[in-house]
Amino acid sequence: MEDEIRRHCKGLLSEKKIDVIWGLREKDGFVAPYLFQNPEELDSLVVSSKYPLSFTCRPSKETILSILQKKKPGLKIGVIARGCDERALIELAKSEQINLDLIEIIGFACDREQAQECVCFKPFPQNLKFGTKVEGIAEEKAFQDLMATELKGRLKFWHDQLSKCIKCYGCRNACPMCFCKDCRMEQSVYTETGWLPPEFPLFQFVRFYHMADRCIECGECEKACPMDIPLRKITKYLRSKMKEIFGYQAGLDPKQKSPILTTLDEDPLKEFQDEI
Amino acid sequence: MRYDNVPTVCPYCGAGCRLYLQILDQEIIGVLPVKSHAVSQGKLCIKGWNAQEFVPHKDRLLKPLIKRNGRFEEASWDEALEIVAKRLKDYPPEAVAVLSSAKCTNEENFLMQKFARVVLGTNNVDHCARLCHASTVVGLVKSFGSGAMTNSIPELENSKCILVIGSNTAEQHPLVARYIMRAKEKGATLIVADPRKITLTHFADFHLPQRPGTDVALLNGLMNVIISEGLENKDFIAERTENFEALKDMVKKYTPDKVERITGVPKDKLIQAARAYAKSPASAIVYSMGITQHTTGVDNVVSCANLAMLTGNIGKPGTGVNPLRGQVNVQGACDLGALPNVYSGYQSVADENIRKKFEDAWHVKLPPKPGLTVVEMMKEAEKGNLKALYIMGENPMVSDPDIGHVKKGLENLDFLVVQDIFMSETAALADIVLPAAAYAERDGTMTSTDRRVQLLNKAIEPAGESKPDWLIICELAKKMGSREFDYSSTSDIMDEMARLTPLYGGMSYERLRVRELQWPCPTKDHPGTPILHKEKFTRGKGQFLPIEFKEPAELPDEDYPFILTTGRTIFHFHTGTMSRRVSALNREVPTGYVEINSKDAEKIGIKDGNVVSITTRRGTIQIKTKITPRVNEGVVFIPFHFAECAANILTNPALDPTAKIPEFKVCACRVEKG
Repeated sequence: MEDEIRRHCKGLLSEKKIDVIWGLREKDGFVAPYLFQNPEELDSLVVSSKYPLSFTCRPSKETILSILQKKKPGLKIGVIARGCDERALIELAKSEQINLDLIEIIGFACDREQAQECVCFKPFPQNLKFGTKVEGIAEEKAFQDLMATELKGRLKFWHDQLSKCIKCYGCRNACPMCFCKDCRMEQSVYTETGWLPPEFPLFQFVRFYHMADRCIECGECEKACPMDIPLRKITKYLRSKMKEIFGYQAGLDPKQKSPILTTLDEDPLKEFQDEI
Repeated sequence: MRYDNVPTVCPYCGAGCRLYLQILDQEIIGVLPVKSHAVSQGKLCIKGWNAQEFVPHKDRLLKPLIKRNGRFEEASWDEALEIVAKRLKDYPPEAVAVLSSAKCTNEENFLMQKFARVVLGTNNVDHCARLCHASTVVGLVKSFGSGAMTNSIPELENSKCILVIGSNTAEQHPLVARYIMRAKEKGATLIVADPRKITLTHFADFHLPQRPGTDVALLNGLMNVIISEGLENKDFIAERTENFEALKDMVKKYTPDKVERITGVPKDKLIQAARAYAKSPASAIVYSMGITQHTTGVDNVVSCANLAMLTGNIGKPGTGVNPLRGQVNVQGACDLGALPNVYSGYQSVADENIRKKFEDAWHVKLPPKPGLTVVEMMKEAEKGNLKALYIMGENPMVSDPDIGHVKKGLENLDFLVVQDIFMSETAALADIVLPAAAYAERDGTMTSTDRRVQLLNKAIEPAGESKPDWLIICELAKKMGSREFDYSSTSDIMDEMARLTPLYGGMSYERLRVRELQWPCPTKDHPGTPILHKEKFTRGKGQFLPIEFKEPAELPDEDYPFILTTGRTIFHFHTGTMSRRVSALNREVPTGYVEINSKDAEKIGIKDGNVVSITTRRGTIQIKTKITPRVNEGVVFIPFHFAECAANILTNPALDPTAKIPEFKVCACRVEKG
């Protein structure tokens, strides 16, 4: 598949159908996102490793593709995207961070092993060009066990887990959707600054709250956590609740608006009232 | 448009996490963790995630500066180096000294010690390892024959019992703490011996809160329990070690009752912890400054080594004696000979054969007498015996004990040159300031705490007219007439290092480009050494050394009733020259504070956030209080990063007799309102 993708991308570049390719490059054994600008470079393109292609650059707090699009207006970028990469692009476009019209998604499917490793609910993009779809893993699986325990046990679980936090902000930094200029996690209103562990549970929960309608379930937050806090038990729960209550899933349809935004000026949803 | 991710090494602690600097058209736009790295595995702490911010900071030194009539004036490189070359030649070798740097690369440290020895003709070369792990280097050499971390960081994950003593790992080496936490979650027993309730104590099975400075008694107590219950590893002791009987006799006295009286650690906890450590199939000791920064630093280190050998926890995965080194390249700076008694690879300057080897390689007669250590340099400067000092990337005006005397010493010098990336508190006192390139702007290698040699890659051009330290040293050496500093690249320097240094003998940029190598790596086909002392100790047999407990140099009394202990926080680094120029870190912790127990606060009549005076026999500082149960009654803690309320105005410069490390961790102080 890797060779096929390389050939396809070489064609796109040499025929000038797109200007640049944004994908993963391997150099001296290091795999990282790279901006391929000429066909020869594409021999070092890889898709075997998982490395997110959308991320927020700090301290500018802008997503990388937005920086590239601003630097060269009109630039046509081809993005070699897995399912999660595509979901990030769609969601970033919905938040007006990038212009999806100028991005060509060159989608490929993850294999079963990768899907399992990432516990991915949709391990393939909508714009699937390469590879064969494998079935996703139901989101509920991630939190079923925990939800089966009683409330007190869950509280203790999260208290123990979140007490491991060393405030690296890696969950936020690795998140393709965390591009807020004014991040709530940094504000002393929510958590006293300068101490470990941060006060339970607001430091992390203020982020979860913000991610409820934006999380595209790439799992990068959990992978970035030096202390292995199982953050996806919450993000997956939130996603499943968003689907159940509002029928909303972030990152799938560029036209679907977040219900959290759209219901602000209406009465709170009746069924949600009942729920709480 | 040009975008690249350049792999480099995080410039802060000795964990040696790797990160990519994201470069867009010669500008650093961010940091990404390296997922394939053995230690960091795609994770970083808050300092690493923000490691790019200080590089293009507006305070960077961009041009050489010459002080005239008390004011710095910009100058050309040629003019500045001309003056340095001329002035340094004015003094006899014993009146000049250099301070090398644990923030600089292996190549730069190698060149700095070569410059001191070849061009200046002196062994007066040292660096801040003296202030952190000098006792490790001395102590572990005595016990094992090699003064470095015996095992590798990721191995800790598979330990079955971890004793963390004098290391606030979660804050000082966050990515090492990761593996301790992983071990804990896999069922390992965690023992934390620390006077403070540090982050790891929340997860510990046993917290042993020893009175500061009583570590030898505590460790002897653990050994007493192990021997009296017959839990020692008799086979290991018989086959691999010597002098056990002497140890056995000595620890007899350290009964749990006696140890409780000395350390304040309840004897039941001591007994249970000793059993857990001795009975587990793989026990590791992790330690840091809480062990080393004492007048008994070497004793503490040797006692850790005794405990590990007693239970056979050496040479196997997930075991060992694991000193965590504070700075990104403090291991390398020691390895490459930035020490007054050894050349690169710990080869003694006093050994005639070794000296001959270096003399032949460098075509010069070398001095045989070991030189001055950091604290001795400051004392000699104050006395007027040391006339000129060349400092590369260090800030003794914040890092050294008893800053009042350091200042007197530095001001008493005839000539002070400081080479740095910022105008540090020390640079401000210099006659000449030379602008150096930051980590992102140069090539080289760094050696992290588990002896892991890793490549730094130049990501952007140096700011202004600043230059990489290795280039500055070469240019200066040439100006002073030496022909031994002709290198076309840092790779050239590595080749010379490898030729002269058996530990690094098999290393080259070609190999390091694709993978890290852990020393010893003596030959080109050697894969490196993750675990030391596997079949035999570096010195042959491991040596038990019976160590009696000694009190710290200064104890609380009527006038100075509190014990002051110092350390770091996760949000800042050392003297703050880098971390205090990072907004995310300043937002967390903008200035210093003193941690004080609520009962003590009540007695003195102070509230959280009040400013208090802390006084020792060296000086007084004003500082904000943080009332917290993290410290016990009778103990106060101050992080040392902050020049405006510098803990090191207060600390005691009393030294360990052999390692010459100062006692940063214990002195007596008084706390007063306002």
